[in-house]
Amino acid sequence: MRMKNSGHNTKSLYYAEDNHKYVITDAPDLGILKSLGIVKNATVCKKMTHKFGGPVLLMVESSQIAIGKDIAEKIYVRG
Amino acid sequence: MAACHEIEEDAKVYKKPNKILLMGNPNVGKSVFFSNLTGVHVVSSNYAGTTVSYTEGTLKLGNETYTLIDVPGTYSLEATSEAEEVAIRFINSKPLAIICVLDATNLERNIKLGLDIQKYNIPVVYALNMLDVAKRRGYDINVGLLARELRAPVIPTVAVKNEGIKALLDELQKVIKKDKRLCGNCNLCSGCPIRTSNTWDRAREITARVRKKTEGKLSFLDRLGNSMLKPWPGVPIALAVIFISIGVIIGAGKFLQEFLLGPLVSDVIVPFFRRLFSSIMPEGLWRNVLIGEYGIFAIGFEWIIESIIPYVFLFYVVFSFLEDSGILPRLSVLFDSIMRKMGVQGGSMITILLGYGCAVPAIIGSRTATTRKERLMITCIICFAVPCISQTGALISLFAGFSPVLLVLMFLLSFAVMMIVSSVLSRLLKGKVDPMIIEIPNLLMPNGKAYAKKLMLRMKNFFLDAEVPMLISIVIAALLKETGLLEKIAVYLEPIVSGWLGLPRSAVIALILGIIRREMAVAPLLEIEGLTALQAFVGGTVALLYLPCLSVFGILSKEFNTKTALAISLATTLNALLVGGLINQLAHLFM
Repeated sequence: MRMKNSGHNTKSLYYAEDNHKYVITDAPDLGILKSLGIVKNATVCKKMTHKFGGPVLLMVESSQIAIGKDIAEKIYVRG
Repeated sequence: MAACHEIEEDAKVYKKPNKILLMGNPNVGKSVFFSNLTGVHVVSSNYAGTTVSYTEGTLKLGNETYTLIDVPGTYSLEATSEAEEVAIRFINSKPLAIICVLDATNLERNIKLGLDIQKYNIPVVYALNMLDVAKRRGYDINVGLLARELRAPVIPTVAVKNEGIKALLDELQKVIKKDKRLCGNCNLCSGCPIRTSNTWDRAREITARVRKKTEGKLSFLDRLGNSMLKPWPGVPIALAVIFISIGVIIGAGKFLQEFLLGPLVSDVIVPFFRRLFSSIMPEGLWRNVLIGEYGIFAIGFEWIIESIIPYVFLFYVVFSFLEDSGILPRLSVLFDSIMRKMGVQGGSMITILLGYGCAVPAIIGSRTATTRKERLMITCIICFAVPCISQTGALISLFAGFSPVLLVLMFLLSFAVMMIVSSVLSRLLKGKVDPMIIEIPNLLMPNGKAYAKKLMLRMKNFFLDAEVPMLISIVIAALLKETGLLEKIAVYLEPIVSGWLGLPRSAVIALILGIIRREMAVAPLLEIEGLTALQAFVGGTVALLYLPCLSVFGILSKEFNTKTALAISLATTLNALLVGGLINQLAHLFM
């Protein structure tokens, strides 16, 4: 299993710092994620992670997207 | 090679000639376009996934009549969801042309779908919608260049204000006449959309060319929308929104009931019918059935117009506003962690809240759930613990004679049952629930005209769906009571009604009518004189948890199967009698 922070500057989106821009390095192969533009090499801006297992909020272009914990943990980003 | 994508006819499903498709991402305003173009009104909302199935209407262009199809919103054409499968079936059914709505605030992914559509080689006109919002956010889009890049007409529009619709129709007429398809000889032309293999890369490239970032100025609503997504001040705002909503529904409902509809029914309508029937009919059984204390024309107006309609109307006033303004998805984000603990995900909250209006559209709306387990859980939560607005109205009227505390207790009880049902089901049911992935729409002031139309449509649907069962239950109630049949049936049910639940014998009628309509499990209690607070609460509890009405049974059989419908009905009835009885027995132990 990959660590939260794998050392090559790649980290899980869920634990990545808030209010930063990231480039996606790996995302689960889910139709809805692809459709929303959360694909490899896409640039996203992470806004925040909600507490108590809540979702991650991020911006892709000018749309705000909320992603539940279980999926957000499996999205890896660098930057 | 005729074309890179042969258009295959799906003969059985979509055979209509002269079709024009309205396509686009979810929540780009397609349904608003549809109602502007056809005059047929579609319920559109400010969150993704309103159009689960398609809608068709008639579109007139010059002397020609076309069928306009509002295809469910999709992000791509890769058949990753039911909506995308429907969209692909339509696009393969030989449409004459496509109107593709592009959201100017999310150009990349909208252009991606626009390019995917071009692969099918059907004449297309693009409507670049929400250009005003994009400008506010600091995006300057070169529409002419976009049209050249896409090799198709692009018309700027603001659908909610009906701007650009005429230009769009003119352009549509031109492309249909010209039948402007691509040559299909894909190997010869460079840059042919049909040959573009990675539409994502091409969409990014086009976006970079046509869009410039300028200084945007976020409006008050944009800033409020953003802050509503953070726990602070989001959660206090959300709680305030919920309390204000409940306050408006109950407060204004009671006002309407007491000062307008109540006097209208008891001083004008009922006396009018009483005089009318007294003058044309002799005193006796049939006159009593019509206008006696429990007569059809007495309880028909008292129950429906006075106790139910004000709340149904106000619920939809409030809910439609929350829907169109984009507040609901923000609540889903804020309460996702709580919903996860219940075994569902934040997005389901919208469906459950819809259930507070009526269970039928909520159960249909649960189609948006991605797994069967989640769908079944949402449905069961609604059937077991969520009172519909008609029933809430009846409960408010019932508790009005006692204390508002009873109403609060009833809602707390409903939440407790909801928690128990969901935690039991999440363990019992096999399968999984997918985590939430939602796009949050802009916070905006609903468009007055669209909002009013939606409200009218919902009220009309309420009358159409509820009228017959309500009338049937009123006729049955009047007949049972006025003919004395009720007393005979009551003898058999007495051990349950009076012994276990501690209710007066005449409450039997509530249990019988509750099968037909949910609020009718409460309404007869209004007529019983000398009911104690405990009896009112027990009666209310049984009604709240009682089996869903006939319409819900019908929709459960249709959406799942008869076995599921029977299982849910049986389980809810037993649960209602069990909880109601326990409250009565425990109260007697301690009081």
